[in-house]
Amino acid sequence: MDNLTRVTIDFDTSHLIFPTIIGIVLALLGLAILIRDRRAIAASPQMWATTFRDMDKPRFLGALGLTIVYFLAMVPVGNIWPNSGYGFLICSVPYMIALGLLFMHRRSSLAVGSMLAVAILAPPLVWWLFSEIFFLTLP
Amino acid sequence: MDLLAHLLDPWFIGLICGGTLMGIVFGAIPGMTATMAVAVCLPLTFSLGLVNGLALLLSLYVGGITGGLVPAILLGIPGTPSSITTTFDGFPMAQRGEGEKALKIAIIASVVGGLVSLVALYFFAPVLAKFAIKFSYVEKFLIIFFALTVMAALSKDMLLGIFSGVLGIFLSLIGTYDITNGGNGHTRLIPPGMDYWLDGGFALLPVLIGIFGVTVILEEAEKGMPRGQSLKDIEVGPHSRFSFSIFRGQTTNLLRSGGIGTFVGILPGVGGSAASILSYTAAKTTSRHPERFGKGEPAGVIASEAGNNGLTGGALVPLLSLGIPGDSTTALLIGAFALQGIQVGPLFISQNLDTWNAMITAMVISNLVMLVTMYFAIRWFAMVIAVPKQILYPFILMMCVIGAYTINYGIIFDVWTLLIFGVFGWLMVKLRLEVAPFIIGFILGPSAEIYFVKSLESFGDPFIFFTKSWIAAVLWILIVASIVMSVILSRRNQGDGAMPT
Repeated sequence: MDNLTRVTIDFDTSHLIFPTIIGIVLALLGLAILIRDRRAIAASPQMWATTFRDMDKPRFLGALGLTIVYFLAMVPVGNIWPNSGYGFLICSVPYMIALGLLFMHRRSSLAVGSMLAVAILAPPLVWWLFSEIFFLTLP
Repeated sequence: MDLLAHLLDPWFIGLICGGTLMGIVFGAIPGMTATMAVAVCLPLTFSLGLVNGLALLLSLYVGGITGGLVPAILLGIPGTPSSITTTFDGFPMAQRGEGEKALKIAIIASVVGGLVSLVALYFFAPVLAKFAIKFSYVEKFLIIFFALTVMAALSKDMLLGIFSGVLGIFLSLIGTYDITNGGNGHTRLIPPGMDYWLDGGFALLPVLIGIFGVTVILEEAEKGMPRGQSLKDIEVGPHSRFSFSIFRGQTTNLLRSGGIGTFVGILPGVGGSAASILSYTAAKTTSRHPERFGKGEPAGVIASEAGNNGLTGGALVPLLSLGIPGDSTTALLIGAFALQGIQVGPLFISQNLDTWNAMITAMVISNLVMLVTMYFAIRWFAMVIAVPKQILYPFILMMCVIGAYTINYGIIFDVWTLLIFGVFGWLMVKLRLEVAPFIIGFILGPSAEIYFVKSLESFGDPFIFFTKSWIAAVLWILIVASIVMSVILSRRNQGDGAMPT
């Protein structure tokens, strides 16, 4: 009986045991969800269509797009002045301004002014704090 | 450094005061949470050292949970999910001009709830840790299994909750099977062409910051950045006469709610909203005037706030004694420990007595700072609700970038991880997957693997998980009980809506 339940783990392939078990459990759970929620899943194209119809596309896609551009630009800009954190500093100011304007509803001079003040002052302050005081690496 | 030295350290005290105030601000702004506050401030702890870093993060946690009461009472919108039941009676009180009174009741109840949970934490965590030292890989694996089943039991949808937890485990296994923990150093589950970036898997903190920071902002952007509140909306009310006599006869309610919050906090993965809902329900069912609840009954505000603040100490019990986070915010604290190279688990308290005492001290001071500042300056705190989102959210996104980039000393892929999991978190919400089980699964996945594989390697018998010791047997009883409970709750929820977690 003891030999029947005995398992030997091969150290060289031991990295695959748990992921395989979890993968199988995940697939079984996925199948259960597929069976239980088949009607909802069948109606999911409609759900996504509604989501995209009701979504504030300029703000959502704009926020995503600006963030991608921000991430893409940080390293090349930072490489011009290596190990200075300037990539973060230089890219953060226009990113905050663009995102602030995108999120703003009524662009009154007071609202734009306060947003601009924060967008221009906050990145240098944060850069100085992390880079100069805490000696952390920034892009 | 002993306790007195910490108390005399202006940096330690200053961080607690600053952290508490910032936490209150985060909690008070609807949509922003204590978890987000901790996520944004994590990189700061890099240079602060363990004790000061934890003092800051724990104060943010205490302040963040409490800050949610401000919009809950004044606007009827819970600032954090854990303040949901505060709206039931707090908002009706504010509507009849008793806003300040309701706020002060809530503040005092929060402090009492927080202190009750700290007493439980102080006495219970070391005992549990001492006991947990005896655990072998088998029991440690079963503890994680138990944590996951409890999470599933309290998910809005049991099946989706389990799926989310297992998905979290699966994604956590991407990359190398860590040699430092006894693995063979081979990689797995890495998509083609991503070996360079995913050799070490997705880093924990960018994943957490992405899900708790970026996701929230994407959701708000999707809704078109709903306009914030104006100062007129948050009038505290001129007719608020607060007196401590309101608390006469409420001692049982306070202690019971704090106790329920602490207990819920100890259960891994169960959020503050469950703590406040259970406390509120208990207060209502034991009240002589249950009909007054929901119409501006101070006892309802007391139960809700003592309950959700009871969570703060409770959630630290499994973290510091077993290494398993009690909720999403304490999951982030694991990151703070990891930044300092310290692993939390059964040996943490005995080997880091100074840090342990400092943590408790920081939380006590944070509760007192919160009491004093909010009690006397509540009208000013109410005004933070009106801070425009077009200023806040870009700033938070910038802080998230710093957090993600600095975690592993400057890896740009961690910044992309932030965005990947920010979008993934948004998709999870759309697909009705559960964030809390996913996160706990993601955090515990690598440990679960090590404990599972090492158990089999050591004993060579899968039945060892059932037969190893009486502790394993007790854990199986708890696992079965939580599965039975999940089924019962799931059936009940089908009828009358889910219990939020």
